[in-house]
Amino acid sequence: MRKTLYFRLTAVLLLMLTLTSFKSKPNQTDERQPTLKLPYREAGLSEREAAAHLLDRFAFGARPGEVERVVKMGLERWIEMQLHASLPSPKLTEKLAPLKTLTMSSAEMLATYPNPGVLLAQAYRDGIISQSDTAKENRAELRRKIMDYYQKEGVRPQRELISELRAQKILRAVYSENQLEEVLTDFWFNHFNVSITNNKAKGYVLLYERDAIRPNALGKFRDLLGATAKHPAMLLYLDNAQSSAPEGAPTTLTQSLQRYQRNPLIAQRLEAAIAAQKMEIQALQNELPDIIKQLRPKRGINENYARELMELHTLGVDGGYTQKDVVEVARALTGWSVYPRGRRAEKLRERLERGKLLGVIQEGDFLFRPDAHDAGEKHILGTVFPAGGGKEEGERVLDMLAAHPATAKFIATKLARRFVCDTPPPSLIERLATTFLQTGGDIKAMMRVMVQSPEFWSKEARRAKIKSPFELVVSALRALDADVTNTRELLRWIEKQGQPLYACQAPTGYADRAEFWVNTGALIARMNFGLHLALGHIKGVKFDLLALNQYHEPESIEEALKTYAALLMPERDLSETLRLLTPLVQNPNFVEKISTSLPAASAKPADMPERVEGLPFESDFIREFLHEEPVAGQETAPILTSKEITLASVVGIILGSPEFQRK
Amino acid sequence: MKSSGLALVAIGLGGTPKFLKRALGATVPHQRKILVTIFQRGGMDGMMAVAPYTDKHLQAWRPCLALPAPNTSAEALLELDGYFGLHPAFQPLLPLFEQKCLAIVHGVGSPEPTRSHFDQQDYMETGTPGKKGTPDGWLNRLSKKLGKEASPFRAVAMTSVLPRSLYGEAPALAIPNLADFGLKAPGTMPIAIAAGQGFEALYEQTSQQMLREVGQESFEAIKLLQKLDVRNYRPQQGAEYPRSPLGNSLKQIAQLIKADVGVEIAFAESNGWDTHVQQGTTRGLFAQRARDLALAIAAFWKDVEPYQDRIVLMTMTEFGRTLAENGSGGTDHGRASCLFVLGTAVDGGKVHGKVPPLAVENLEDGRDLPVTTDFRAVFAEVAGKHFGIEDDGALFPGWAGKRFPLLKSK
Repeated sequence: MRKTLYFRLTAVLLLMLTLTSFKSKPNQTDERQPTLKLPYREAGLSEREAAAHLLDRFAFGARPGEVERVVKMGLERWIEMQLHASLPSPKLTEKLAPLKTLTMSSAEMLATYPNPGVLLAQAYRDGIISQSDTAKENRAELRRKIMDYYQKEGVRPQRELISELRAQKILRAVYSENQLEEVLTDFWFNHFNVSITNNKAKGYVLLYERDAIRPNALGKFRDLLGATAKHPAMLLYLDNAQSSAPEGAPTTLTQSLQRYQRNPLIAQRLEAAIAAQKMEIQALQNELPDIIKQLRPKRGINENYARELMELHTLGVDGGYTQKDVVEVARALTGWSVYPRGRRAEKLRERLERGKLLGVIQEGDFLFRPDAHDAGEKHILGTVFPAGGGKEEGERVLDMLAAHPATAKFIATKLARRFVCDTPPPSLIERLATTFLQTGGDIKAMMRVMVQSPEFWSKEARRAKIKSPFELVVSALRALDADVTNTRELLRWIEKQGQPLYACQAPTGYADRAEFWVNTGALIARMNFGLHLALGHIKGVKFDLLALNQYHEPESIEEALKTYAALLMPERDLSETLRLLTPLVQNPNFVEKISTSLPAASAKPADMPERVEGLPFESDFIREFLHEEPVAGQETAPILTSKEITLASVVGIILGSPEFQRK
Repeated sequence: MKSSGLALVAIGLGGTPKFLKRALGATVPHQRKILVTIFQRGGMDGMMAVAPYTDKHLQAWRPCLALPAPNTSAEALLELDGYFGLHPAFQPLLPLFEQKCLAIVHGVGSPEPTRSHFDQQDYMETGTPGKKGTPDGWLNRLSKKLGKEASPFRAVAMTSVLPRSLYGEAPALAIPNLADFGLKAPGTMPIAIAAGQGFEALYEQTSQQMLREVGQESFEAIKLLQKLDVRNYRPQQGAEYPRSPLGNSLKQIAQLIKADVGVEIAFAESNGWDTHVQQGTTRGLFAQRARDLALAIAAFWKDVEPYQDRIVLMTMTEFGRTLAENGSGGTDHGRASCLFVLGTAVDGGKVHGKVPPLAVENLEDGRDLPVTTDFRAVFAEVAGKHFGIEDDGALFPGWAGKRFPLLKSK
């Protein structure tokens, strides 16, 4: 009997597997693409100017000599290589090597960097720490106990993970040869935003970017959508993991059980097995601390993800869906949840393994829970999804949304805004949207259409975008050919300009418009950043200004201004900048002899809001454990000669100038 | 090492900055209204802050945490109205309550039942409970309603990262420390001056309009702050701020207000209200947070005395806590809490709102003080009446509730 059931279920599963593998399209092998036709000459740009523009948009700005290299290689070929994104980046590989988290499996990562709240609760449950430890006077002792516990359990504080996550973003943007891949990773992460300010999602954010975003950044939109929809970071950030069919509603599980009702023996056995399982799960849950149990949400759908899926990820706010559609999509996605990792979830994982016979589906960290999936019929955007669709139903919903004309238009608009200008011309949006629909959301194809559009090269588009804080910092590092050995202070500077990395709390991501970045506080931070960087007062960053000019020392300060402005902003019209700055540097004050400079300003650790949920400790206390340690190896700021200070100041002014904020 | 950076712009200030002239327009500066908000992160235990001491159930829910009724012991609650008592650590606020400029609203919270800090703070700050995708914060939408021409200091948060409340299209400043605001060169003075002049010339004349306008404003703002001499600020009327992050934030807000730089919306944070463990009674975590909050608010109110008619101060917190104390001498995440509203036009000296008898059947999910007033009803009343804004839908999209009467009509 048992055997028959087993075979039947396996057969169904196998069939489903075969079906899905047919549906997921094989990766497009490199078909010969017709040579790109780039209409930059029509827009009045020289080849060098076009290369500089391309480096501003398809890359994080030009490195020294890069305009020449792109011209030599041919712009068309450079673009194809960027689209292919498989250039070796030895420098980057070397820089990323010490960051051990980047290559961890998700099981390893979650076991090593558990949520601090959960860990503390566990320590509390294990009797390692008690409430009397939290008294102010016992803090040092408590700290020691917890550190010992961390060591004993072999776990590390999550801040280490976040610090590596943030470091790799800067390093990749500065050093990767596959620049477009990084630009698009930044773009798509922001489009499908999740945030480390959400404690549940925090430990998954690195995996999310690495496994869901980057591999699909130049792929198909549907793959991106599916990867984000099923990733724990998104499932937790927008609460889908806890969305389930309401109490008493038919679920995939109850349905599949009903199917076997006709055979009383099977039914009986199944019921017994389920009852046993329920009891065991109950027992497992009883082990959880009271506080977590109390916070356990009730059964029922949670609309958050379904709403943002349509409003922010696909159709756009005016995409023609209703609140009814939101509810129906949420129902279709009930049961889309997170596979439990972590060391103490072993028993639970065993149960789930057995549950696969009853419709539990695990794909990496994604878990489909048949007991939580609402098995009823749904009506979404005018389409009927018949009852009993199971996990595949959610996939069909994603198919439908990914192929929708409103999605095509929405994604086309956002890409055009990122790559061309804040209010992109409708003609370009139209063309990109058409490409999206014709190619099934092929991002490469859209990028090819983008660079072959006159709008991309037009006069209106050149220097029209204001760099985001991240882009500003990275483009400055690239322009200076800087050696970045520590990113801690750079991160503070990006944060001061208004873009704490991976910490945009709203699911909208950061707005990709100038007025979002240009405000009084941020602008002053940008100028300060330019001066601090140029004068060597950002720890962990080194560069050689004279090397940029092949060790030709400028003969005069005017000469320095002219030379370095052109080096840092190649192929730009710098007449305005030079006209305004020349009289200034000619002022005798500017070259006053000064032989020393003040010590470096140490950026204070910012007061990142830490929100810790479900644990028996106040959050201030947790914060103590999350604080970053100071940058190791206290390097002092370089002592510069007055000549060097003068040159550095000139460079600082260039980096803080209005022109350098533009791209 | 004294100061690590040097303020750059050493040029004197000639007349009123352009942005202020524009912002003020025809209105007299002394009539601009100011809203000061304090977010108590972590979820303040409203039942401990303002306790219905006559309710016979309270002692049963909280054998260790309930404080004795007013005038019964040295550690007793402070009498408010014969029904509610104020936690003694809030003592500095009592005179304001007695002068009838401080009101308390009890039973305030979000209609969404989540007990997650993240979600509930998010909902309170966006002003759209249940909707996470709202791109902007309610204070930013308020800022937009105050008109186009604004000072760069119109909306200021004394935080290092802009709070969700101020996300949005209207410009908003996050300044953890006024003394750090300005151009800083790590180099030496002459270079610093030169660099400052360089930037000013560049931004004043750049052809990119947005950079030019904001750039000009930035330099004007820097000069203004320089004139303030923020490091040597002396509070007036003998106000003594607690030496705490909140004390420092409110002190700097007072400074900006008194400098008439065009502040209309100010935001400060008070952390550490998540008292799961050892909440304490008259001593302990809660008392320490409460004392800090009360001392800071009382000092602020004293310091801005000549400006009081223009200011309303309001506290908020994402949720209250469980009515029952837990096994570790604390309370867990709950539903409704209370908030304080301070101002000369406030219907003060009263505990507003509805707190039902604390029998289990009256509680939300049988455990928490129920939300009887939507926080939007209070926020809309305070911001709306104070600034004369009628359109609640602009501040709280999708909300069709009624304002909670709290401010006297003018």
